[in-house]
Amino acid sequence: MNDLWNNLNGSPNIQTIGEIGVVTRGSLTEGVEMKLNPNRSVEDVKAGKFVVIEGYKNQFFSMITDLTLDATNPDILLYPPRDGDQLLHSVLNGSSTYVTVALRPMLMLEQGEEIVDEPRPVKTIPSHFSKVVEADEEDVSRVFGSEDKDDRFFNLGTPLDMDTPVCINLNRFVERSNGIFGKTGTGKSFLTRLVLCGLIKNEKAVNLIFDMHNEYGFRAMKEGGGQGSSFVKGLKQLFGNQVALFSLDPESSRQRGIQPDHEVYIAYDQIAVEDVIALQDELQLNPTAAESAYLVYAMYKNRWLRQLLSVDGPDVEQFAEDIGANKSSLSALHRKLKRIDNFPFMVNRLDGADAVDTMMDYIDRGIHIVLEFGRQTSMLAYLLVANILSRRIHEQYVTKSEKFYASQNPEDQPRPLVITIEEAHKFLNPATAKQTIFGTIAREMRKYYVSLLVVDQRPSGIDEEVLSQLGTKITALLNDEKDIQGVLTGVSNANGLRSVLASLDSKQQALVFGHAVPMPVVIKTRNYDEAFYKAMGDLSDEERTEKAAAASAAIFGD
Amino acid sequence: MSLAQLDLSEFIGEIVESSTSQFTSESRELNGAPPFGSFVKTLGALPVYGLVFNVCTHSIEPNRRATAYGLTEQQLREEQPQIFELLKTEFEAVIIGYGDDKGPQQVLPPQPPGIHSFVFPCSESEIKALTNSGDFLRSILCGNGNRLPADDLIIASVRNAWAARAFDMPYLVGIGKDLCRLIRDDYDRLSSIMRRVSQ
Repeated sequence: MNDLWNNLNGSPNIQTIGEIGVVTRGSLTEGVEMKLNPNRSVEDVKAGKFVVIEGYKNQFFSMITDLTLDATNPDILLYPPRDGDQLLHSVLNGSSTYVTVALRPMLMLEQGEEIVDEPRPVKTIPSHFSKVVEADEEDVSRVFGSEDKDDRFFNLGTPLDMDTPVCINLNRFVERSNGIFGKTGTGKSFLTRLVLCGLIKNEKAVNLIFDMHNEYGFRAMKEGGGQGSSFVKGLKQLFGNQVALFSLDPESSRQRGIQPDHEVYIAYDQIAVEDVIALQDELQLNPTAAESAYLVYAMYKNRWLRQLLSVDGPDVEQFAEDIGANKSSLSALHRKLKRIDNFPFMVNRLDGADAVDTMMDYIDRGIHIVLEFGRQTSMLAYLLVANILSRRIHEQYVTKSEKFYASQNPEDQPRPLVITIEEAHKFLNPATAKQTIFGTIAREMRKYYVSLLVVDQRPSGIDEEVLSQLGTKITALLNDEKDIQGVLTGVSNANGLRSVLASLDSKQQALVFGHAVPMPVVIKTRNYDEAFYKAMGDLSDEERTEKAAAASAAIFGD
Repeated sequence: MSLAQLDLSEFIGEIVESSTSQFTSESRELNGAPPFGSFVKTLGALPVYGLVFNVCTHSIEPNRRATAYGLTEQQLREEQPQIFELLKTEFEAVIIGYGDDKGPQQVLPPQPPGIHSFVFPCSESEIKALTNSGDFLRSILCGNGNRLPADDLIIASVRNAWAARAFDMPYLVGIGKDLCRLIRDDYDRLSSIMRRVSQ
């Protein structure tokens, strides 16, 4: 008998396939409301679900943004049916008490139309009583493309409760700077690794990854993985020679059993005043510090920092007097910059090649770079190194692009470069975003073939102007209202997405929206496991041995 | 079951008064009227379907009333058998549809059933056809002014319709939903009716 009542109240085993309700009201600005089919249980309908409204001429691809319990008669709410009164409960369900579901149409396609390039925004709404159905596999691949169709598409996961892959368009993805957000422990690093794998596999851009926590290069910890198989493969393991490992702390890399391809050292003369300004927050520099630094620079040019740090104690005041700077301001600057002296990667003179030249060489050959920080996990080191390297690489890219614009020779065209930075709010906060190189890159978009992949847990800390320029945003769970607001900066009709964002699972779920997807969609992210390694072209140990044997047989004969 | 297949000797009443919306029949046997809320039909050019809403037994003489004797029915039948000949049972039915070549229609008939037509109980399949939607409830609620004991008639007729479907719960829920709309979300009334139907 209990089964019978469950059936009547919308348990899954009586669901009419597909149809989940009909459109009852709506507006273009506020979205559409649907009355839930009474034999559907409200608990099966989740915010973020991908549904299709079958209009008369168009199909509206929509996302569920909100659910409301309603009753026609307030008396029912005052005197609810008694606990055992299943019959009355069933009778009321769907007639006097009903569920309305708020839908946000995100994309409109004529019946049978395919997305060619630019998706069409929604310009009208479906008529009364249009059927709302669950999206099926065909709909998903029609909207998001499929890896089989084209190498533009990269499978990022599946929609909620479905098994069809949702793909992002990598061509469009690398056209802008992008962001990956989510609070700690929601799988940002996994998402980032997934996206990077896509970019590397489909050769859409060269990546430079500032890997603060040593997560991308060579095996990384799996969160909550327990013992045993708690490590996952890094990019170097998956893509071998296509990825070069640079390390700021070679000793730490070796301790972890990794042989970096290059060690990175930075000479004092490579640090420009702009690099120090970018550290304003981290070093708590006064506003006058920049002026003092420029005074030193005016006198000593490239040697300014070496010169400044070489004086000590009371000589600093004398030094200030010599160059005409304010004594207390300069000694404060001196005192604070002294911290840089402690970094083991800082050297007076470079012995080997300049790290930036080596990196550019790799980038020109299309080899991706992961820069590991080893034990140098202080924010100061990260900010400093990322700034210096990016600024100089960007300079080179500007030169290359100018050259290409002048010659218009396709051979001169630089390879698109994507720079991945973590803790992005430290680089792009409103105070420094206008001055640091990352702010520039984020704002100038792809003019010089360099874009950013911003990874951050605190998007509210990022300058609004930068946030609104990010093309595609992939967002795991965020709770803080300010962060949610920040991520949705520059998104029209953000209200619906807000509730979706706050109701994501804390693991393996993300909202993807922006330039690289035709419509916002909540996905269950792809598993980062053996199957994924295989899809990325990685071979198991046996296969690798076999392949090597075959190759050696081909060269040397049996 | 077609009309031709009906055994005419199984009639339960004969129409003595007829109109478009209801008819009155005299029961074939004293106290032998069909139960309140049961579905009946008449024979004629077009069969007419009705729902019994009132049963009464009284003297055959309009101006005379039966008198109390202080005896049980058994004793009365032995001592005064003639008085039962002076009584008759009548039942009234509200018309809820008629039949044409497509089967029962939930619409009032073009002509009222003929006087002296025989009345038969409806078969199970006819009850199902007449009650497949909540439209018959509308005849009860909207027809005949306030003469019908609407709530009780709904309860009795829905129970019959439900029984014809072997007490199928989804059917009862569907009818409940129709009723809910018909009585304009009168929650108290709905809950009272549904409770009594399912008792």
